[in-house]
Amino acid sequence: MKEDVTKLSRRNFFKAGTVLASGVAIASALTPYDGLLFAAEAPGAKGKWYGIGIDINKCIGCGKCANACKQENNVPKDPFYFRSWVEQYTIKNDGSILVESPAGGVNGFTQSVPDADIYKSFFVPKMCNHCAKSPCTQVCPVGATFETEEGIVLVDEKYCIGCRYCVQACPYGCRYIHPEKGTVDKCTLCFHRLKQGLQPACFEICPTEARIFGDLNDPGSKINYFLKNHTCMVVKPHLNTGSKLFYNALSPEVR
Amino acid sequence: MPQHIKRLIGVFAIFIVLFLVMRQVLKPSSFGKLGHFRADAIYENTLKPMHYTVADSCTKCHQTVRAEKDKGFHKNLKCEVCHGPGLKHSLYAGQFKGKELPDSLKLYKPGERKDCSVCHQKNAARIKIQFDTINTTMVHQIDVAEHNPPDLKANEPANCIDCHNPHQP
Repeated sequence: MKEDVTKLSRRNFFKAGTVLASGVAIASALTPYDGLLFAAEAPGAKGKWYGIGIDINKCIGCGKCANACKQENNVPKDPFYFRSWVEQYTIKNDGSILVESPAGGVNGFTQSVPDADIYKSFFVPKMCNHCAKSPCTQVCPVGATFETEEGIVLVDEKYCIGCRYCVQACPYGCRYIHPEKGTVDKCTLCFHRLKQGLQPACFEICPTEARIFGDLNDPGSKINYFLKNHTCMVVKPHLNTGSKLFYNALSPEVR
Repeated sequence: MPQHIKRLIGVFAIFIVLFLVMRQVLKPSSFGKLGHFRADAIYENTLKPMHYTVADSCTKCHQTVRAEKDKGFHKNLKCEVCHGPGLKHSLYAGQFKGKELPDSLKLYKPGERKDCSVCHQKNAARIKIQFDTINTTMVHQIDVAEHNPPDLKANEPANCIDCHNPHQP
C-alpha cells in the first residue's frame, strides 16, 4: 500500500490539530497540575511570611545562638558544620579587614588584635537568609529543597541525593553536607519549634535580644517594628535573592 | 500504512504506557502538590526532636531562683542561656524530687572563668553605646585574666561564682 502524503489536506490537518489541542486542554482542565496553580500566586501574599532581623549593635558575640543551634538540631560538633554561626569583623587602623570565626563562635571570642590597632570591630551573626527567590532551591535537580508557603527554605532529607549543587549555589554559605546522613543540611528556622508555637532556638536564647523574628505580613509583629525603627539592610543585595534576613547597622565590609 | 511504521507505533505505545505506569508507582503522591517537591516533606520537617524549652517551664519548680534573677541585671536572660538545653530536664526531673538526679537529666552548672568570659571578657567589638563622649557597654566588660587573679599557691583557681551570685550579679 502506497501512501501519498499530499492526501493530508490543509483542512484535515487543522481538523486533527484542533481535536488534539482541545483534547489536551480538556484533559489538563480535568486534572490540573497543582504545582502550576501554586506557582500562579505570588509567594507571601497571604498567611504567614517569616522574616528575621539581627541588630549588630546589640550583638555581644557570646556565640550562644551558634551553640544553641548545634544542640537543638543535632548539628555535628566539628568546627566546620554550621547552620548558624558568628563572625567577628575587625577593621584595623591601616584599613585592612580581619574576619575571624573560631569554631563558628560557638565557644565565644577572644580579641586577637590589640586595642591600639583597631579602628572598629563588630560581630555579625550569620544564618540562612530564607530567600524568597533562593538560588539554592532553583538548582536542585531532584526537587529535594524548596520554599514553603511561609517563606522558609527546607530540605527533604529522603529525596536529597547529596550532589552538593545547592551548597555551591548559596551565596551566603549556609549549607553543608551532613557527614553521617550524606544529605544536605541547613537552617530550618527550627521548623519543628515553629509548628509548636515556639521561637527558633537561637532567637529564644539570645541574651541581648539582638535577634528578632516574626511574621512580615503582620503589621504589629516584632520584626515589622524592628524594620520600621532601624535602617536595615540585607547582605549582598545586588544578587537579588529576596533575602529576608535584615541586619541593622550592617557595614559594607560584611560579605 | 507500511508494516515498519505500525511496529514503530506499537513500540512507542508500549514505552509510553510503561512510562505512565512507572511514574504512577515511583512518584510520591504528594510530589507536585505545592510545587516541584514532596509536600509531605514539610510535615516530616516538623517531626525533629526538640531540646530547648521555654523559660516559663523552669519557673514551675524553680520559683525562688527566678524571683532572685528578676531583681538583677540578668533578668532578661533565659535560664537556658547559661544552663544549656533543658527540655528533658523540665519534663522528667520532677519525678526525682528529693532524690539524686541521673546524669542525663542534670543541667550544666556554669561559674568558672571560661563560662562567664563568653559574654564578659573585654572585647573591642562589645563596646556599643556612645553616651556623650563615653563608650559604655551593654554587658559589663572585664579583663578576666587580670581581674582578681586566682591564688596559684593555694592551688585553687578562683571561680567567678566564688564572689558573684550569677543570678543576681
